[in-house]
Amino acid sequence: MRIAWRGAELRLLLPILLLVPLGFVVTNIAVTGTFEPGPMQLAAVYVGMFVVAHLVLVLSGHRGDQLLLPAVGAMGSLGIVMLNRLPQGLAGTSALGFELGMAATQVLWFGVGLVAMLAVAIGLRDDGILRHYKYSWAAIGILLLAATMLVGYEVNGARLWIDLGPVSVQPGELIKITLVVFLAGYLAETRTLLTSARLRIGFISIPPLPYFLPMLALFGVVMLIAVRLNDLGTALLFFGTFLVMLFVATGRRSYVLIGLVLFVAGSFVAYELFGHVQARVNIWLDPFADPLGAGFQPVRALYALGRGGIFGEGLGQGLVTLGGNLTIPFVHTDFIFTAIAEELGLLGGLALLAFAAVLVFRGLRIAALARDDFSALLAVGLTASLGLQTLIIIAGNTKLVPLTGITLPFVSYGGSSVLASFLMIGLLLSISHRTQIGTDAERGE
Amino acid sequence: MIATNVRRLGFYLILAFALVSGSMVWWQVIEAPALAARSDNPEVIAARRSLLRGTIFDASGQVLASSSLVGDLSVRSYTDPAFTHVIGYSSLRFGSTGLERAYEDLLVGRADPNPLRDLLNDVLARTPQPRDLTLTIDRRLQDFAAAELGSDAGAVVAIDPTTGAILALVSIPTFDATPISGDPNAAQEPMDALRADPAQPLLPRARQGTYVPGSIMKVFTGAAALDAGVITPETTFPDQPRQETDGFTVDGFTVREHDLGGIQPALWPLSEALQVSSNIFFAHVGLELGADRFLSYARRFGFCDPMSIGPDGRALSVAASYVTNPVDGDCSPFDDAVELASASFGQGEVVATPVQMALVAAAIAGDGVMPDPYVVRDVRAHSDTGTPSDTVLDRFASGGGTRVVSQAAATAMRAAMVDAVNGELGRLYAGQGDITLYGISGSVSAGKTGTAELGGQQAPHSWFIGFAPAQEGAAPSIAVAVLVESGGSGSGRAAPIAGRVMAEYLRMSGGN
Amino acid sequence: MTGDILRVLLLVLQLGFVGLLYLVLMRFAGSLLRDLRSAEEAQIASRSGIGRLSVLESPEDEPPAGSTIALGPINSIGRNVNNTIYVEDDFVSATHAMLTFRGRSWFVEDQGSTNGTYVNGHRIDRPVALSFGDEITVGRVRMRLDR
Repeated sequence: MRIAWRGAELRLLLPILLLVPLGFVVTNIAVTGTFEPGPMQLAAVYVGMFVVAHLVLVLSGHRGDQLLLPAVGAMGSLGIVMLNRLPQGLAGTSALGFELGMAATQVLWFGVGLVAMLAVAIGLRDDGILRHYKYSWAAIGILLLAATMLVGYEVNGARLWIDLGPVSVQPGELIKITLVVFLAGYLAETRTLLTSARLRIGFISIPPLPYFLPMLALFGVVMLIAVRLNDLGTALLFFGTFLVMLFVATGRRSYVLIGLVLFVAGSFVAYELFGHVQARVNIWLDPFADPLGAGFQPVRALYALGRGGIFGEGLGQGLVTLGGNLTIPFVHTDFIFTAIAEELGLLGGLALLAFAAVLVFRGLRIAALARDDFSALLAVGLTASLGLQTLIIIAGNTKLVPLTGITLPFVSYGGSSVLASFLMIGLLLSISHRTQIGTDAERGE
Repeated sequence: MIATNVRRLGFYLILAFALVSGSMVWWQVIEAPALAARSDNPEVIAARRSLLRGTIFDASGQVLASSSLVGDLSVRSYTDPAFTHVIGYSSLRFGSTGLERAYEDLLVGRADPNPLRDLLNDVLARTPQPRDLTLTIDRRLQDFAAAELGSDAGAVVAIDPTTGAILALVSIPTFDATPISGDPNAAQEPMDALRADPAQPLLPRARQGTYVPGSIMKVFTGAAALDAGVITPETTFPDQPRQETDGFTVDGFTVREHDLGGIQPALWPLSEALQVSSNIFFAHVGLELGADRFLSYARRFGFCDPMSIGPDGRALSVAASYVTNPVDGDCSPFDDAVELASASFGQGEVVATPVQMALVAAAIAGDGVMPDPYVVRDVRAHSDTGTPSDTVLDRFASGGGTRVVSQAAATAMRAAMVDAVNGELGRLYAGQGDITLYGISGSVSAGKTGTAELGGQQAPHSWFIGFAPAQEGAAPSIAVAVLVESGGSGSGRAAPIAGRVMAEYLRMSGGN
Repeated sequence: MTGDILRVLLLVLQLGFVGLLYLVLMRFAGSLLRDLRSAEEAQIASRSGIGRLSVLESPEDEPPAGSTIALGPINSIGRNVNNTIYVEDDFVSATHAMLTFRGRSWFVEDQGSTNGTYVNGHRIDRPVALSFGDEITVGRVRMRLDR
């Protein structure tokens, strides 16, 4: 195994790793009003983890994309600085006799996530295990969903969690990955058939239905379960990812259009059938109708955005609590973006969005360069999932779309989300590594 | 080929990122000032936490609302629950309502009534001082009216017909706003209790309650028809006496008279028809007036649109009253002649707020001019001694009014309303609204009762509108509307309350 | 006094944090631009290729396992040395299959071989459109179509 220097990654990581210690110092001065620097050991652990991850990639001769890890590090830094600054006691864990605060727990999960990412990025030398067992992956996904439905418990009206003794996990986060793997495998195999449809009625070309059936059947089951679990955000995310992959595989805008029409029709039916959907849509349309009741959370979030303005209230100086109560309930999960945009302003919010954009466009680049259809579609699916999740939750924070309970990848508090997101980065790294190896071999000939 | 599709996808994703950035710009730049101005914004609440608010006094200089510091928390206390639906509350948890909201920036001291001084304060970064408010309402009359309603849900509105000054604005049930305006952590429980109360104490009935008006609407119908020249005080309808017993068939639907209580039907002109409250007579009047003119007069009187008490920007809101089914916040055209005939005696689809009906009475009392109502008399420098400061910074006087009917029409309707209370037939219905029964001599009152049928087993709403003094040559100084929810007949419940309130006001203003 | 120092220090540090954020963003932008340029060069360098075959398995080692074969638009596969792609294997017919690039995609067609042509493990009986990543098996030789 040859060592592969990763200069671009290192150059980017160095300033990024300053963000967490500097952020801790700033917020601690602002919150306590003393020169206390804050939990520097924790900052050191965070910095150390990313340095080690970088070194492991270098030593293993990994040739994967060098911008992914820094982008993740930057988003994570903003999240951890904010989690350390928010009132502790919103969440946290006690393990092995240690009481861990929110930031420490999040750093711990970043550690777990980085290990998982490295394992996938380096260990997955051949994608056969993904490519050839696509139906097994689909089955695993469905089993996970079914398990959530049977033994899961509810938080805030959505049944998303399974209790595994010391930790609770959200299987929905992992299902995203298995679903993308299945779709990539299925579409890579059938895309030529799906594209060469000749049946036309008027302006619409009808897809050869038999080839769609297994995919649609699986997809219907997943969507149905997601809606049953009252997890509308995840359902929307699945659907968006599905449409994106279908579009890239076939190049047919009409499929996406049909999908969108189905989605609008489905939303309308859901609106008519389910009370909670109706309530959510109404809150979205006019949160100010009941600013102290149903619209409390979104209205408070919009106020926070307004307070932030262009330059922000200053890191550590946002109005997080009011008389001992959080100004925005669930600020550490659903509204972490709002908290960042309040303190760092439009400037900070756009920076965060830009980091996410870097991640997304690198993901697309990996897909465009990939040497086979399966890898390309897998990269597209993973990227779409991460990108859409980011866009949906930020758009929910800014009232562009109804608010859903999904997390902001690498920023929101939550172990399952962090772990799943790192696994996805690991897969992207491994795809780009294989592409690069192939190109190198070609040039070498 | 996949690479091409990925590039196209990239283009769409750039659009999505741009859209989301746009929504961030929208809230953080464009809408930010509007958000910052809203009273339930936590920033506003936080700023208010330790800032003293100005005091609110009644017309006689008694304290109604005042702030004090408990620890570093600015706590608001209210002395009189009868004023809650006028003043509102200023809660550190729930934001503010009523006058507390309309005058927020003045009370807190963020604005100065003089715009030049306001600018100067801004430039010099001087903290403006809190300001005090004085209301047009005298606490004695407000409390008297509230006590008259007792525990019955309802409203009393009293207006000075010449100036538009509100003299009483009572909504029952009411509540003490002090517990929700103190420590924000202790405010949730009392608020939850208020929200859960089936009696709806949070509803300001006088301004926001809309009720079927019943026969008090005949004052409007009569005045409009007189003004349009459709009737004179002598006009009669030949078929009317027979129809009093047989019914009046309009478009195949028979309009029937209410129980006349043994009075023999006769060929009644306006005064007698109003005295016995003849539905048949006013159905004829409304049909003669016609649907279009009925609607245009209704709009002139303020129906079909939300109203307000006070100048724009510093107003108490009043819900819209309607004479037909509302569509998009406006009166729709009448469906048919039956609906028009019913609306003419206050049934059909007519609904009105007590404030609206008080203004109808005030328009007749004011010789056909409907005054613009207001409730804050002046803004003064802050005083913490418990008596108002002498430094008046701004005075809100009558903003004038709108002529709704001619003086002649108003005078004719006024004469009929005097008869309705004092006449031989009228006494049987509205006699309890006579102020001479309550210790006033030398003056008489005018008025009209309403018994608004709600259908089904529900007891009707009891209404009265009127004014005093109403004898020829006198200028009325008070116009009232009284509503008692499901209070039965107008004569039984609303009329005596209105009579006593008018009498009490005349005593108060004569004695002072 | 300490309060004032603290406030000024805080402001400086806060500005520093935002500055750092944007420094990072600029570095990202720099890296992205560099990659874009090198990608263009790479594209120019490899413009000729429309696809290649990677040999995954080849018992007789002709073509050698692990090697890649650059493809033209029309390729014949068979045991006859006149084929574009010469395969040494007893289970392969003289002219076994045709691999052609038509318009947008690759197609493979069996040329009446004895033992048949397989795509992803399925025997084909008519021309089949291929995706990149698909495996073609002739005789005992297994190859993958790559970009």
